[in-house]
Amino acid sequence: MDTTTVSAKSLITVDIGNTITRALFFDVVSGRYRFLASASAPTTAAAPLFDVTEGVWRAIEELQRITSRTFYTEKEGMIIPSTQDNQGVDVMVATMSAGKPISVVTVGLLDNVSLLNARHLAQTTYSEVIANISLNDRLTSTERINLLFEKRPDLIIITGGTDKGASKSLLSILESIGLSSFLLDDSLRPHILYTGNEELQEEVKKGLAKISKLHIAPNIQPVLGKENISPAQNVLNEIYKDVRKRQTGGIREVISWTEGNFTSTASALGRVIRFLSGKYEPEKGVMGVDIGSYATVLAVASSGAETLRVFPNLGVGAGSTGVLENSSLEEITRWLPFHIPEQDVRDYINNKSAYPASLPAESDQLEIEIALAKQALRIAVEKTIPSIHKRSSTHKSLMPPIEPFIGSGRILTNAPTRAQSLSILLDGLQPTGVTTLALDQNGILPGLGAASEINPLLTVQVIESNTFLNLGTIIAPYGYARPGTPILRIRVNREDGRTFTREIKYGSLTVLPIELGEKVSLHLRPLHRFDVGMGGPGKSGKVNAVGGSLGIIVDTRGRPLPFSLDPEKNWKRNDTWIKGLLKYE
Amino acid sequence: MLSKVKHIHKLTNIRRERVLPTEGHVIVRRMQKVTPTDVIVVAPSNPKYILLEIAHGLNVTPARADDLLQRRAGDELAKGDIIAGPVGLFQRVIRAPHSGLVRIAGEGKVLFEISSPLFELHAGMEGTITNIIPERGAIIETRGALIQGVWGNGNITYGVIQPISNNLNQELLAEQINIGFRGAILAAGYCGNPNVLEIAATIPIKGLVLGSISSDVLPTAKSMNYPILVIDGFGTKPMNTAAEEILVANRDRNVALNARVYDPFSGKYPEIIISQPNQPEPNLPIESEPLVSGKRVIIVKGSQSPQIGTIDSIHSRKKVLSSGIKARVADVTFGNEKRATIPLSNVEILME
Repeated sequence: MDTTTVSAKSLITVDIGNTITRALFFDVVSGRYRFLASASAPTTAAAPLFDVTEGVWRAIEELQRITSRTFYTEKEGMIIPSTQDNQGVDVMVATMSAGKPISVVTVGLLDNVSLLNARHLAQTTYSEVIANISLNDRLTSTERINLLFEKRPDLIIITGGTDKGASKSLLSILESIGLSSFLLDDSLRPHILYTGNEELQEEVKKGLAKISKLHIAPNIQPVLGKENISPAQNVLNEIYKDVRKRQTGGIREVISWTEGNFTSTASALGRVIRFLSGKYEPEKGVMGVDIGSYATVLAVASSGAETLRVFPNLGVGAGSTGVLENSSLEEITRWLPFHIPEQDVRDYINNKSAYPASLPAESDQLEIEIALAKQALRIAVEKTIPSIHKRSSTHKSLMPPIEPFIGSGRILTNAPTRAQSLSILLDGLQPTGVTTLALDQNGILPGLGAASEINPLLTVQVIESNTFLNLGTIIAPYGYARPGTPILRIRVNREDGRTFTREIKYGSLTVLPIELGEKVSLHLRPLHRFDVGMGGPGKSGKVNAVGGSLGIIVDTRGRPLPFSLDPEKNWKRNDTWIKGLLKYE
Repeated sequence: MLSKVKHIHKLTNIRRERVLPTEGHVIVRRMQKVTPTDVIVVAPSNPKYILLEIAHGLNVTPARADDLLQRRAGDELAKGDIIAGPVGLFQRVIRAPHSGLVRIAGEGKVLFEISSPLFELHAGMEGTITNIIPERGAIIETRGALIQGVWGNGNITYGVIQPISNNLNQELLAEQINIGFRGAILAAGYCGNPNVLEIAATIPIKGLVLGSISSDVLPTAKSMNYPILVIDGFGTKPMNTAAEEILVANRDRNVALNARVYDPFSGKYPEIIISQPNQPEPNLPIESEPLVSGKRVIIVKGSQSPQIGTIDSIHSRKKVLSSGIKARVADVTFGNEKRATIPLSNVEILME
């Protein structure tokens, strides 16, 4: 579909991260929407300015310099819509991940059912669960009131009870919530999101509407075992915006420039991944990964269903000490390609957290950051995998078949080599079967997600314009064998009729030198009952593949990736693997 | 490019907000002079509540219990005062379990606030109250030296500063800490041994200011009940020379040491304030400036940190660093005339 000049609307997307604010410009070129320019500036949400608009202005100023087009003037502010002399922009959208996570108390009937639902809902935005209340906790009403009064959360998420299910028990907890809210000043009263038994909605309104900022969403678990997060997720996104408006200077201005098209970066990422899932094979699923300075976000969409998980304090900048808190130092240093004294690694991580915008000037510093990124991603993936498995899956600890995986975040896009970007994604995600790893090299995913609501054609056309860099097709069989045992035979049929065959041994990372964009047909024949995603263990099959910037990578290192107890062996092995990839850079 | 600013001033105007997160009673007035130990605002410390089930206790319906209530919301009670009753053959009553306040009464229940000791928020620095924030606190202003830190263990104190020597570029050793430092705030280059902090606690010292601290020492540093403030970062590096100069020059003077935990979202850093009210009035420090040639900067990362230098020039194009990363860089000349090319992301403008 072509875009006529009349209907075309130019677009600026702004993403306000904890460290960097990025502005992107899209417009129509030769009848189709294109991504045209990107600019960034340090985020100014925190001290000393406490106002995000300064960072936004500076990013847009840089965008003006790059595009030689005026988007704002001191006198007029943002020029929206664009003028006939091609100044300004028609639409602006904004996403945001900067700021302190929203503090959340989850409330439900049972720990492993309703509280789990509430936690999953909380994890769809930048939040930190600071307490849980349920019937299992054996707290008295008095203890619950004191707990809520002391914690003073930004948000209380109430779940529990299937529709037409238990109600009395939940009402007793609601009384404690109401009383604790009453005790607080108006300005400190939390948002309350009720997403439990729908029959109780009227009771909830009667009890809580006057003394809190009450929001009602459809039951998150209308029938036992079926989680329905999406409607509540949308309400939570509105609450996120409201909390940010109160806590962060300049957000009201950004919302006014965007006419309300402002959302959390995670929510926008989820939206665009859902969009992409419809475009590719809906059954297989698509995953987007954002490794940020403070948080890591995973978004998976398959067959119309979306799983979004935000992991605050798990990043490669301000959140790097969170990686250290969530894992042992050995779990970070195991990813290094050479020995760096533990003391130096720990000091580096603490310094990086104190100065998140700083860059690794030396190669050993870069290796620590890459190791941090791999471990942050690994933690996030391990916590998300149980939620994305289909019930029938037999390998529930492994990544299910997903294609493609799209990575974003400065650690991936700024990595000096594509081999380093690929190794972060490959080691962190540990995909199985045949898939593709792609890189969102311009950081446009959240912007496209935010834009998809108001201009889906732009999202489609920009995605079709090869905006993501194909890092490589991955073939990752899983099974058990001794290292060195042949486990896979691959015959590669090129379009010009040439063929070649490879026998791949267990425990290796092999690059098949296929040019970027070259289409090939692969015949995969697993040995020793290895599963290569062709329908079960030992099953052979044909698959079409495209070469990425590193060709086609056959990863037979094992799933999950095994590590030696001897750290020297791990470092040596990592060094061999990365050097093997670098040969094809 | 807008740069973060590191504040290390020999003399500046310092304005700080001291507020409670909840309502309290402000007991200072505008233009009042305060010392660090003066109380600014008082409030109930972490009040506790009890939900009294009146109907259940009197064995009556909630409506009947409401009829039997003798107190209303807002009533102050002493321990043992009757809240509801009497009722029944044995003239059953519900009494206040502690002294406190009735917050809500009705529907067969009473929410009761137990009286708690008052929390006192201290000024934490010398200065003049220039503004009152109703029911929350006040703005205090002073002039003097200011050193911004990067890490604190959450404690606060006021006392005499005693640098361990005139060169704060060496490790603080156990044998250097003696009874002569009792009650003083010690300043030293860096600490790489947790035992040193424990020995210092036995003296006891009143506080500790370090240039850097080894990450292995952090768990012990967090557990010390005296304030520990780190100025430059983590590792075993000497203190930056600007901070060293101020601390040595102010030996034996009183300093306010606020080793608060750095909060990246509020931007509140740990800091040392050395009040010098008799000095001529300087301007308030600038909080943000663009990086340009001639600016004094402090290196915050890499082998050159925490050296101080001056930007000679900023390269117009990105440069490939040793790590392979491409970045905007500047040529920086240090005090010893040595020169280095540093990524702009790895410097902060030094406000002196």
